[in-house]
Amino acid sequence: MAAAIEIRDLVVRFGADVLAVDRVSLAIEAGEFVSIVGPSGCGKTTILNLLTGLLPLAQGEISILGKRPAAGNPDIAYMLARDSLLPWRSALGNACYGMELRGAPPAAREAKAMELLRRVGLQGFERAWPKALSHGMRQRAALARTFCLDSPVLLMDEPFGALDAQTKLQLEDLLLELWTAERRTVVFITHDLAEAVALSDRVVVMSARPGRVIADIRVPLARPRSVRGLQKSHDFHELYSAVWEKLEEGLGSAFEEVH
Amino acid sequence: MSRGAAAAGHVAFIAAFLAAWELASKNGWLDPTFFGYPSGVAQYLWEGFVVKATLWKQLGYTVAGTLVSFLLGSAMAILLALAFVTWPRLEHAMDPYLMVMNATPRIALAPLFLLWFGLGIGSKIAVGTSLAFFIVLSSTVAGMRGVNPDHLTLSRSLGATPLQLFGKVTLPSAVPVIFSGLRLGLIYSMLGVIGAELIAAEHGLGQTLSYLQSTFHMNGVMGLLVLLACLGMLVTRGMTALERRLLRWQ
Repeated sequence: MAAAIEIRDLVVRFGADVLAVDRVSLAIEAGEFVSIVGPSGCGKTTILNLLTGLLPLAQGEISILGKRPAAGNPDIAYMLARDSLLPWRSALGNACYGMELRGAPPAAREAKAMELLRRVGLQGFERAWPKALSHGMRQRAALARTFCLDSPVLLMDEPFGALDAQTKLQLEDLLLELWTAERRTVVFITHDLAEAVALSDRVVVMSARPGRVIADIRVPLARPRSVRGLQKSHDFHELYSAVWEKLEEGLGSAFEEVH
Repeated sequence: MSRGAAAAGHVAFIAAFLAAWELASKNGWLDPTFFGYPSGVAQYLWEGFVVKATLWKQLGYTVAGTLVSFLLGSAMAILLALAFVTWPRLEHAMDPYLMVMNATPRIALAPLFLLWFGLGIGSKIAVGTSLAFFIVLSSTVAGMRGVNPDHLTLSRSLGATPLQLFGKVTLPSAVPVIFSGLRLGLIYSMLGVIGAELIAAEHGLGQTLSYLQSTFHMNGVMGLLVLLACLGMLVTRGMTALERRLLRWQ
């Protein structure tokens, strides 16, 4: 079976001099939760933007469910680092937004959005403006907006990067709960290794610029998982150390190249 | 101090001010030829609006001219701003001409517009529109440029068409900034219309004001100034109410 997402020999240059991503190849199976970890500037977000079709592909090949990347691909739901809620729309209006752009009929999208808002724990806040919501609640609303779409592929760009530690654990568990119900294919970008290990089936480690894949590590932790439960698990911490070593190797070699 | 006490203070102050004015004019400390009497002003307004009811028509001309100028000027400005944001090269090409036009004191165009559009409401609308247009244009361009790039990225990834991007993201996000321009645009439309009426017109409060001034009817002049101040206040209040309603999310 062909992989859900295939990236082959991807090279990205910014201008003439900056090599941002260097010959990255990656195959992600349908239903797999894959995290891409790496230091800032390693091209993680660039790869996501290529997958969404927002950046033009110059060198290499990308296929998503057999199709080339294109902006607005309905197979993809994209979640950004910041919640990007539209401040002039209520939580409900924001949850509906993706479906609205994709032409879902009003009654159906509202019903779906109400359901998702309930599942992310925002029942009773449907009419609230984003400014009235806490960071955690805003990111919950963004999760609702993302999961309202029936796209089989979710691309998430450090969605919990700006949250405090406690809220982050809660939202990671919420994400796993939503994901477990449907098992969509997820590409999750983060610089937080613990988060990557706790959530993923596989952790792909990238080096500092130029971004290369320096490790691809399977996470054999049983599912369903609880991120909060894992904090005390011995296996989890061992895996975490293993991935951390790989990341350090990558960082080290980049450091030596510079000096 | 409570609101009630503050209001009572203002009422007391205004009453004292009017009494002093009345007294000064009656006793000849102020020349009534130049200052009129508060009681005369009140009487003028009472006759104009109630007894003879002739001022309503003039007020109507001025208000209609203001509203049409405002709507025309803002609509053109918002459309051009959209074109500028969509095609930055257009803005680049038009910028020097717009700058010259914006720098021209546009009330100076009134004599020209009077020849082109006649003494009627058309020339008033032309002046008012030219004033409102530039103010709304610059604030709308600024507002649309200030759109959050995350909102655009997200919407594009969701497959938004250019029209959807404009209607669902760019325009609503620019509304707060556009509004500060619209508020000024409305005040400037009124300024343009009254300015043009003062120069030459068949109808309107500006024309009435100019006539009263030339016949030394000071009570009438003062009365119209009070009326125009109230009109300006009303217009600003209306905009604020609309803004509150549209910007509940802020």
